[in-house]
Amino acid sequence: MRAMVIDDSRAMRMILKRIVTKLNFEAVEAGDGQEAMDRLAELTEVPELALIDWNMPNMNGLEFVTKVRADPRLREMTLVMVTTESEQSQIVRALAAGAHEYVIKPFTEGAMIEKLALLGLVPTGANS
Amino acid sequence: MSVEVEVNESDLAEMVEQVWESYLDPEGISPLIPTYDENQPSEVHSSVSITGSWSGHVVYASSRAAAQRAAAAFLAMEIDEVSEEDISDTLGELANIVGGNVKAMLPTGAQLSLPQVVLAPESSARYPNAQRISGVYGIWEGEPVSISMWHSSAENKEEGE
Repeated sequence: MRAMVIDDSRAMRMILKRIVTKLNFEAVEAGDGQEAMDRLAELTEVPELALIDWNMPNMNGLEFVTKVRADPRLREMTLVMVTTESEQSQIVRALAAGAHEYVIKPFTEGAMIEKLALLGLVPTGANS
Repeated sequence: MSVEVEVNESDLAEMVEQVWESYLDPEGISPLIPTYDENQPSEVHSSVSITGSWSGHVVYASSRAAAQRAAAAFLAMEIDEVSEEDISDTLGELANIVGGNVKAMLPTGAQLSLPQVVLAPESSARYPNAQRISGVYGIWEGEPVSISMWHSSAENKEEGE
């Protein structure tokens, strides 16, 4: 399985990449929404999962989610917002735009794995 | 219009504890020990600005050794492998995480800037019309670390003049 990690922070991309690699995902990185769209256009296989930061230059996470949802080729991709934008109104906006789940920074590795298990992307108990 | 709001030290301390638990001290063996000394020295710092319903800045500052240690913990590296870029990325993300959580406690309508990192002491930065309103100051593995919150307002300008 393949996961796309989209965050302008290289440090956060490394943390997320480390977690998904441990869960047997092959990780693809992008530094913002536009770079992620460009990478997706190049890829022959669409990743099963995208972990998306909200605040990024060029194209932010919400714009990325909206664009992905408008593209039938990317319909099967599970979209998880991973962000510090923790207000209820922002969560509702992201989910309304088409995100499947929401993880608020700071998060522990265990919490992220549990969220992916909830989405059926990793087996329940992968955290133990 | 900016409204009066208070994010107090205990709110900040709770956020800081979550950051330590998640990234800097997942084993729970090296917590940030409070010193309550807002004048403790720093060698590097990062900040994010908040504008809109509330205006101000959140600043993360530490010694260079603490920044290096933070980068090593964040990126799962050995301390001697940490580069300047690793330190800069990590400091930026730490300011972003704390700033984002502070923003969530403010009235709706606040926006968060992208982080800014300066590999120089916090005292080298100037935040016009801003006043420090709260902060967490501590020692992490023998090195100073602080997270402070600054409120910007025209009143601060008048007071300073």
